[in-house]
Amino acid sequence: MLQKKIFKLVLFLLLLIMSTSILAQDGNILVVARAVDATGLDPHTQTTFASLRLLELIYEPLVVTDSDLNLQPALATGWEFSDDGMTLTFTLREGVKFHDGSDFTAEDVIASFTRILDEETASAARTNYLSIDSMEAPDDLTVVFNLNTPDVPLLSAMASTNAVVLSADVIASEDPSLVTVGTGPFKLESWTPDENTMLSANTDWWGDGPFVDGIEIRIIPDEASILAALRAGTVDFALLNDPLVATLLVDDSDVVLHRTPTLSYNVLQLRAAVEPLDKLEVRQAISCALNRQEIVDSAALGEGRVTGPLTMASYALPTDELFCYEQDIDRANELMAEAGLEDGFTLEVMVANSEPPVATSIAQVVASQLEAINITVEIVPLDISTYVDRWLNADFAGAVALNGGRIDPYTMYSRYWQYDARFQDTAGYIDDTLDDLMQRGQVETDFETRFEIFRELQVHLTETNPWIWLYAGFSYTAHQSNVSGWEPAANDSLYYMSSISVER
Amino acid sequence: MTTKSSNMPHLPKTLDTEPERQAPSFVIRLLRDRSGTVGLILVVFFTIISLLGLFEITRYPVLEQHPIDRLQAPSLDYWFGTDQFGRDTFSRIMKGGANSLQVSVISVSVSTLIGTVIGIFAGYVGGIVDTILMRIMDILFAFPSLLLALLVVTIIGAGLSSTVLAITVVYTPIFARVARGPVLSLKNAEFVTAARCLGAKDWRIIAHHIFPNMRTVLIVQVTLALSWALITEAGLSFLGLGTQPPDASWGLMLSANRGLAEIAPWLILFPALSIMLMVLGFNLLGDGLRDVLDPYLKSE
Amino acid sequence: MRQYLIRRLFASLITLLGISVMVFGAIRLVPGDQITAQLGTEAGMLSQEQRAALERYYGLDRPPVEQYFTWLGNALQGNFGFSIRQGREVLPLIFERFPVTLELAILSVIIALVIGIPIGIIAALRRNTWIDLFGRVFSMLGLSVPNFLLGTMIIYVLSVFFGILPNSGNYVGFFDDPIKNLQQLIFPAITMGFSFAASIMRMTRSAMLEVLNESYVRTARSKGLKEQTVILRHALRNALIPVVTLIGVEFGYLLGGALITEQIFALPGIGRLAINAITQREYALVQGVALFIVINFILINFMVDIIYGFIDPRVSYDN
Repeated sequence: MLQKKIFKLVLFLLLLIMSTSILAQDGNILVVARAVDATGLDPHTQTTFASLRLLELIYEPLVVTDSDLNLQPALATGWEFSDDGMTLTFTLREGVKFHDGSDFTAEDVIASFTRILDEETASAARTNYLSIDSMEAPDDLTVVFNLNTPDVPLLSAMASTNAVVLSADVIASEDPSLVTVGTGPFKLESWTPDENTMLSANTDWWGDGPFVDGIEIRIIPDEASILAALRAGTVDFALLNDPLVATLLVDDSDVVLHRTPTLSYNVLQLRAAVEPLDKLEVRQAISCALNRQEIVDSAALGEGRVTGPLTMASYALPTDELFCYEQDIDRANELMAEAGLEDGFTLEVMVANSEPPVATSIAQVVASQLEAINITVEIVPLDISTYVDRWLNADFAGAVALNGGRIDPYTMYSRYWQYDARFQDTAGYIDDTLDDLMQRGQVETDFETRFEIFRELQVHLTETNPWIWLYAGFSYTAHQSNVSGWEPAANDSLYYMSSISVER
Repeated sequence: MTTKSSNMPHLPKTLDTEPERQAPSFVIRLLRDRSGTVGLILVVFFTIISLLGLFEITRYPVLEQHPIDRLQAPSLDYWFGTDQFGRDTFSRIMKGGANSLQVSVISVSVSTLIGTVIGIFAGYVGGIVDTILMRIMDILFAFPSLLLALLVVTIIGAGLSSTVLAITVVYTPIFARVARGPVLSLKNAEFVTAARCLGAKDWRIIAHHIFPNMRTVLIVQVTLALSWALITEAGLSFLGLGTQPPDASWGLMLSANRGLAEIAPWLILFPALSIMLMVLGFNLLGDGLRDVLDPYLKSE
Repeated sequence: MRQYLIRRLFASLITLLGISVMVFGAIRLVPGDQITAQLGTEAGMLSQEQRAALERYYGLDRPPVEQYFTWLGNALQGNFGFSIRQGREVLPLIFERFPVTLELAILSVIIALVIGIPIGIIAALRRNTWIDLFGRVFSMLGLSVPNFLLGTMIIYVLSVFFGILPNSGNYVGFFDDPIKNLQQLIFPAITMGFSFAASIMRMTRSAMLEVLNESYVRTARSKGLKEQTVILRHALRNALIPVVTLIGVEFGYLLGGALITEQIFALPGIGRLAINAITQREYALVQGVALFIVINFILINFMVDIIYGFIDPRVSYDN
């Protein structure tokens, strides 16, 4: 009798499994999956990629970059530097409304930048805008920034989610980390951290779109499960970081995979302040001993391209112009001998254990390759917060890092390669040449001259090898074949999701 | 991991009398027990594999990468295939076994030692000492084990020693409870009272009269704890909190290669089988030992 | 009985206090704080004044001991602090997540009971037959397959071979859509219930075997009672006593959230809340979740003890 009951139960369970179905949704909602959620909602203070990917759908800066990293108008329709480079004037877009229905004016821009520059706000991006001396609004649709020094990179630094415009009313009377009123293509309906985020289309948006009624962002902590969800058709669109997972979609006929070269780069940071890394020959030997292409092939299954210090196409040098980018073990051994270290040494390399997913793999290949010159790499895996803590305190000898890139080479490295740079300690190396090149790069306006300056910088960096630049990866977006209009941006921004449409 | 629950100590019900001495041929009796035999074979097999792994007597060096032979299916060269770095999976399974077993054996030994001492002491002395000690044990016991491990690992960093510490902290209260129970019932048993009347010292009573009576319970408990420790170690490594790369561990192999399961299923299959079989071995052995050693708990 | 209850309550309070100190100390020993967890490496771009402003905001500027007592004072008044990231109180956050964990725990227990007890009884009654063998193999497997392994395998098989995924991050509550909810929870529940079923089966089997040899069962049989009556009325009732304890303890653990299972199946339960709170260094949230889990555990054990007293008249609370 009992056996019969058990049989019935098994049957019931099987039926339950078979009956899995997707329920119809209200309206045309684009379902997006990603692994990590935003850490907060205040666009001026949030710095993690995960937060920016959400906030750039809701808020807009004055200018944005398009898929080729050129500046495009957003809340500003025009901009102009004065001849002496001391003022920057923006003409604002007419008829833009905030999500709460109020009008967007010059007053909001001034309130937003005042907030960013206020130390109480604790905006990490503040340093990018320190050249702003004062702001004025001759009329509702014009903003003038008076600068204390000519600052060419300021304009591209404004194309950032950390420089978006908030409503002056919200700044005055609400907490922007709780009240999200932007001008962007989507409005925030609800945010349940680590679970889901609901966005509805901003029908009053000034641009063309959005073409869906809303977006539902689901957090699925495991990228392998995101892959499964894409295949099962339960999500329309996904953001992926793990090349191992993304490559599985290459041959999938139902899912479209976009692969975008990123500006961020994987690098082996060495701190020249620590023995024996203070010896130029040792650092050079490490560079010569590595086979960078093999690192890409093993750690990321070939998903990446070997890169020098600059990753943006406009400034990047071909790798054959850089020092020792072809593996040369003999030369590496000679260099070690010159340093008096032919017997090698032990190098501690710290690595964040899940961000990025390939970091530990990179460290393992590096460790294996450096055995050839008798360097024993001891991998120290840390959880991400601990890793960041030690990185900021310059408490390491070597580190595998994924550092963010910028469109502008000066902005990208101003925090590392100058005498008074904020991360000078973490960078662990500086010399007069570097400092001089960076200073000239900041003020130079002529592209050809600037290109030469940064060519020299890259050659110098790879010769002195304070860090060993390895490769730049891809970021991945994938969507079902009924999703159209998506063109990924080189800076990973999701802003252009406004042009996505879905055919149900 | 919810396995901790199955740890309910199996206490002997009545132990008022001095039990007869164990016959010396208990291995033979164990071999007569079917599940005990299978368990013993599995445990011996994996112990040998692990010992070879520990001293790195493996087919290929555990960390050696063969970039040309990336992601090879099992073959005569690579019996269990290779991973994305071209490392030999079979060699890594051996080293992984060594790491898992090492962590389990050390943490179970330490927690057995500390737990038993605390349990006997608390039970024997009784009173306020008993209350305080057992309260501390309760605090550790009530705390969710994985959360505890997570905290330990975030504080002192991931690695073998923190895994050992985490598992030890989790299992010590269990052994304290296992040990304290019999002490309470034995403390006033006739033969103990008799010994005390004859003027025996406390430590003598504990060593000669009480401890021998809980030995069988402890042996069974240790064997089972080993299997839970193996699962916990694998779980922690799976979460990235245990053994760290480039070193090998079964749990780590599973989680690191999950994304590759489709193109290289052998990277998942062999570690999964290894975990299952080794844990199964310890469980079967534990059952067998219980049947052979402890007539009161005989399950047949 | 009453005195016993009071003593138990008092002891539990001390346990709770101990755990709150332990968690408070532990989470502050962890390197990195909420500021680095929130900002990442950009935290280094903050000026001294900016950092000070943030520390004030997070309440990190005061000495730890003072922080603890402030927290304790507030907690006693039912205020367990704020999750800074979400700008919400800790308690409602926990209560929002709890139903998921509770339901998962209940489902796992049901699965374990439905599978474990019948097989255990039959295995005991038909000792050394194929069903006994099947039961023993099943229970051994159940005890030897770790949750994370089973969960991973289930997801893999379902998604690769059947093209379905039990949960893709769109968890729905039971009362919103019971069918969909069950579809999402059934596989995580099987994952967790499997090993539990195995231990219940073992426990039932051995307890039954033991009881069947007891004198009262033999007496009942010799009195000529029907076998079914003997088993159901006499044997089973007594055999289930240890099983109830096992269920209680296990349930207490399940309520602590299944960290791995919730993570693998993307279920928004207590376990995942705990993991995220630790990685985000949300001190108040870690503290709140840990205490909540322990209170659950203590309460369940408390209830088990009382139920125990009802089904087993031999237990007395007086010593």
